[in-house]
Amino acid sequence: MTNAGAPEGDVYSRICRLIEPFNKKNVPLTPQTTFASDMDFDSLTVMDLVASIEDEFDIVLPLNMLPDLESIDQVARAVQKIRKDV
Amino acid sequence: MSSAAVIDTLDVVAPTPTQDNLPRRMGDFPTLVDALDYAALGVRGVNFYTARGELGDVMTYAALRDKARQIGRKLKGMGFEAGDRIALIAATEADFVSFFMGCQYACVLPVPLPLPTSFGGRDGYVTQLRLQMQSCRARAMVGPDSMEEFNQQAAEGLDLLFCGTFQEFDALKVAEGELGHPSSDDLAYLQYSSGSTRFPHGIAITHKALMANCQGQGRDGVQLVDDDRCISWLPFYHDMGLVGTLLTPIANQVSVDFLATEDFARRPMQWLTLMTRNRGTITYSPTFGYDICARRVGAEAMKSLDLSSWRVAGIGGDMIRPDVIRHFAETFKDAGFSSTAFVPSYGLAECTLAVSFAVLGRGMEIDLVDERVLSGDIPQNTDDHLHVAANGVLADVDSDIHLKSDESVSEDDIRYREVVCCGIPLPEYELHVRDEDGSKLPERQIGRIFVRGDSVMTGYFDDAETTASVLSADGWLDTGDMGYMRDGGLYVIGRAKDMIIVNGRNHWPQDIEWAVEQIPGMRSGDIAAISLPGKSREEVATVLVQCRLRTEDERRQLVEQIKRQIQSVAGINCRIELVPPRTLPRTSSGKLSRSKARQQFMAGTIEALDF
Repeated sequence: MTNAGAPEGDVYSRICRLIEPFNKKNVPLTPQTTFASDMDFDSLTVMDLVASIEDEFDIVLPLNMLPDLESIDQVARAVQKIRKDV
Repeated sequence: MSSAAVIDTLDVVAPTPTQDNLPRRMGDFPTLVDALDYAALGVRGVNFYTARGELGDVMTYAALRDKARQIGRKLKGMGFEAGDRIALIAATEADFVSFFMGCQYACVLPVPLPLPTSFGGRDGYVTQLRLQMQSCRARAMVGPDSMEEFNQQAAEGLDLLFCGTFQEFDALKVAEGELGHPSSDDLAYLQYSSGSTRFPHGIAITHKALMANCQGQGRDGVQLVDDDRCISWLPFYHDMGLVGTLLTPIANQVSVDFLATEDFARRPMQWLTLMTRNRGTITYSPTFGYDICARRVGAEAMKSLDLSSWRVAGIGGDMIRPDVIRHFAETFKDAGFSSTAFVPSYGLAECTLAVSFAVLGRGMEIDLVDERVLSGDIPQNTDDHLHVAANGVLADVDSDIHLKSDESVSEDDIRYREVVCCGIPLPEYELHVRDEDGSKLPERQIGRIFVRGDSVMTGYFDDAETTASVLSADGWLDTGDMGYMRDGGLYVIGRAKDMIIVNGRNHWPQDIEWAVEQIPGMRSGDIAAISLPGKSREEVATVLVQCRLRTEDERRQLVEQIKRQIQSVAGINCRIELVPPRTLPRTSSGKLSRSKARQQFMAGTIEALDF
């Protein structure tokens, strides 16, 4: 996933917009911000966010990808890759 | 989802029917094999729905039996022997169900293992699978295509007869062997649903225990009727999902509609939509499942719901939070949901699943108990501290007590907590509430809950020592939970064991503490992982760490490091509190006492350092 190239700014910023309503602690968002440690998301919040990402980009983020996605940047790259592959 | 295990899907446009002419037998079978053989005489079965709520695989119990026998013959042909363990990644799929039952026809023990549940945590997940396989000395591992990479990594170097996907197993060309037939006292499967992930022990369940529990649930717990239909999103790697919504329906010939857990977590309203569409009558969920539905339903979704067929809304799997349950009932009242459908229940994997069910049609019954009694600060010598309220309506209490938004009740300075009745023990059980010395307590006295009955496990697989610590020679199981009896009903107030449950997932303090100990400079005994009540009584995993650092800057860095370490190793977000050296309490034998640490921290005797 890391060698899939830099994510388009558009994908990254759209994901950040989707994260905002869940970002209760107002953690400043950077590409390296992590969901679990930095933002304290529990698994239910994560799945809620996954649902909004899927709706926004009209994709499916498969379960087997989740364990490798720690940061916003990694999610953005994954979304971009899925959109290309479709 | 594979269609390999499915009857000819081209002809299938509808899920398996709710009704059947086959006379219902409620779990009165010697083994799970006999139960499926009987269910296969009818037209009912299991159905799998996609994330978008479309019907995917449909499998009648007859088709399941055919497929399972085919898998069983193959397993025998491959050289698996009776009692061997096969690790199965428990995805909500027809393939898992077929394989689980296939093992039964070969007298092999399936061991359901979990799926990932969140962003990140790859290493922790793979390690967990590997430790569980090692603990049961699995001889094979089978999982869905999508999980292949993780499975291979987890199984690397282990001596296995087979490691691959369901499709690869199907494609194997091997001579078929003769099917076996297990006896009632043989083990049926191992369950890892509630144990420590770092130090796992598989709960060993016999066919006899399983059938006893299935019978208790069907006949006495939910009292099945002709038009019952079960709807479920619970994972098969959890006892409530595996036993409650798969094996019990098989043993009682009930059709079930499954939604994958991860699809429920993304779009919880699919659960209620499926209830509406298929006229579901029975479904179970921990409190948080009701919570997210009530929080996420929109006006549009509400209009299309009709929950009037819902007869049994089982609640279990974690501490029941009455405010959340009431909010759900209020939210879905106009969709036809009746709060009398709630059936609080109590169970644990060490008892196969169920111990008690609330009386049907009564809904939630609640006691108000003085917080000081619950915390052990004042003795529980009389009935004075137990005030009774029925269904949240205060009955026997003074009028100047009122419920506050944070769900406790106060009268002058006294605070009360709502305790939910988890129902009447199933007929198979004897139940004791005992004090610290092991003496049986009368009703209305809080103590530790012990049970004895047919569906209690035989023990933890391959671990006589841990088994002996919870199961006595004469069959009494120490549940580790605290509670009391009143008028024959069981009221569970919490755990004596130190387990932490967040969103229905069990976390063991020793796993969290182990993770922190791996940080250089940390010593075992410096760390206590405990559960503290949050704003609305949800559990908040908290780690107390003895800290010798002097500046707030250093402390802040340490806290960050600990947080990340726990997240990546144990897969849970914890609140970290630093405490001065030598403040964590010990037992007389010098071991860390988590329960005392918890008490002292809550009471303010242990003070947190600033950072």
